Amino acid sequence: MSPEAKRTGNVDLAVNLAGIRMSNPVMTASGTSGYGPDFAEHVDLEKLGAFVTKAISPELRKGNPPPRTVETAAGMLNAIGLANLGLDRFVAEIVPFLQTVSTPIIVNVVGHSIEDYQTVCDRLDPIDCISGLELNVSCPNVADGLEFGTDAERLENLVASVRPLVKRATLIVKLSPNVTDIVQTAQAALRGGADVLSVINTLRGMAINADLRRPILANRCGGLSGPAIKPVALYCVDRVYTQVARDAQVPIIGMGGVYDWRDAAEFLLAGATAIAVGTALFVDPTIPMRICEGLATYLRERGLTSTRDLIGQLG
Amino acid sequence: MVRSLSVRYAFAVAKQSRAIRTATIVANEAVCREHLRITLRRPELPPSHPGQFVHISPEVSPPPEYPAAQGDSWHPGEEWSAIPHTPMLRRAFSVAGLRRGDDGIDIDVIYRVVGKATRWMASLRPGARVSILGPVGTGFPVNESKSTAWLVAGGVGLPPMLWFAQALHEARKKAIAFCGVQSADLLPLTLDADATPTNDASEATLSAEEFSQHETPTVISTDDGSLGYCGHIGAALSAYHQANPIDANEVVVYACGPEPMLEFVSHYCIERGMECYVCMERAMACGIGTCQSCVIPVVDDCDPQGWRYRLCCREGPVFPAEDVIWNQPAKR
Repeated sequence: MSPEAKRTGNVDLAVNLAGIRMSNPVMTASGTSGYGPDFAEHVDLEKLGAFVTKAISPELRKGNPPPRTVETAAGMLNAIGLANLGLDRFVAEIVPFLQTVSTPIIVNVVGHSIEDYQTVCDRLDPIDCISGLELNVSCPNVADGLEFGTDAERLENLVASVRPLVKRATLIVKLSPNVTDIVQTAQAALRGGADVLSVINTLRGMAINADLRRPILANRCGGLSGPAIKPVALYCVDRVYTQVARDAQVPIIGMGGVYDWRDAAEFLLAGATAIAVGTALFVDPTIPMRICEGLATYLRERGLTSTRDLIGQLG
Repeated sequence: MVRSLSVRYAFAVAKQSRAIRTATIVANEAVCREHLRITLRRPELPPSHPGQFVHISPEVSPPPEYPAAQGDSWHPGEEWSAIPHTPMLRRAFSVAGLRRGDDGIDIDVIYRVVGKATRWMASLRPGARVSILGPVGTGFPVNESKSTAWLVAGGVGLPPMLWFAQALHEARKKAIAFCGVQSADLLPLTLDADATPTNDASEATLSAEEFSQHETPTVISTDDGSLGYCGHIGAALSAYHQANPIDANEVVVYACGPEPMLEFVSHYCIERGMECYVCMERAMACGIGTCQSCVIPVVDDCDPQGWRYRLCCREGPVFPAEDVIWNQPAKR
């Protein structure tokens, strides 16, 4: 028996995310691992449960001026400004690479308007190697980015407008934590036709340099991520799971400050079917693989046989 | 002649490191006020070039004996902890020297204590281990057809020039190092008592041991006039150049330091038709091109607006001076 089989023997890490078959529950979080090629130089993409790309908009976006990121207590702020290649170049330059990867690929989608989202989804849905489309409705970095994700009615409208165009891929909506009650927007996303909910995107935040009397980020504010937001993320997953997703049988991708297998187990217990690693990848891109090994050991030592035995099993 | 950007950036593109490695600290000692030299030892390292940087993690993550290697003896309760205490992200440092010895490869990093991460680094003792990514990034390109290199360093921009001076010496190039610091006590060099730096910058002397061993004379400047030329290093470069005219086609200028200084040196060289490269610095999260934090605006003839962002970590940190746009485009 190989060391790999010995460690993971008799434990089935696989999960099914509304049709996306993942060999393990650990994926990357959008915007933290590029489009794939750069990341693949450091990590074997085949070992991920799923790979989530950086956000794609219809047109190329240069993004915000630097400084774009700053480390804060147990986390970091980012204001990249959704810099991306644009849809045409993504299809021409990145999709051929993604076609060589057998791991499920989820493309994060962003736009200024409903039409932008429709344009990207319409073009990407027929591409076989793309298993899921994740709508970024909560990125706080661009002036108009908050609109869809923080208002239940507008969010429902957006998801419903995109839904008919997403015929093959799994439609995922990434919820913003910057709301009074995430249950309201979760319900709205489901009414609009979401297959899966990602919980949560970054929290709005700001860092100031008192010496210079200036905001540190060129964009003034940014999205907070990292261990600092994990308790907020767990709370949101618990709320969405118990109030909406469990009864609706809609899977949740839990994310926010996941660094190790214990964090992952916590998100699964709170009701997530899969978990995404984001900021931690900046410290070490191989963390997802080690989370898998840790999860397998955790399950085996407790006499459990599957990741699914953990999901939502909070006492 | 305008070369295409893709061709222009094909120079000296180093192979990216594919792995994060654990290194053992073999020395970590003060070299001058607020500056320390840390030496990191590795059994092996991919081919590396002056100008590249290492991305150092505040914690060993993972430790060298990752649980996978321990098989069944590992229990979840004993896991490595990747949850770092602040500081959390890696920090980028230029490589100041690289030596191959019987015990492995020693990587020198000279750093100034400026914040939490560098304070943590200063507390490390020999035997401790850190996680390093790299060396990564592009190195300094060497123009085979030009005989002379001027290395212009400001403050903590000095360390990469030490390794580069060695490489240039081995390549039989003539090099002069221009080193500017705020004050004499912030100069991380060992001065030769017999050869004091001139204070009119008219002459480069073998006055700093770290450069002299590679037969590289130095011009030293301090902002407060406590050593060498009184003024910033750009002014010292200009004074030296006036006293020692050289054919612009014979010299390549390499600069590393604060951005205003890089901008000055860039303009100085471009106006005089001298080939110039700048080694830039940006706050970085990943160091491998995925987080998109470390952007530098550069001229791009193919872009409708004439510019684009390039990543300091992957496409830099060394850029041709004429490509860099020093006045950051407004927010868009």
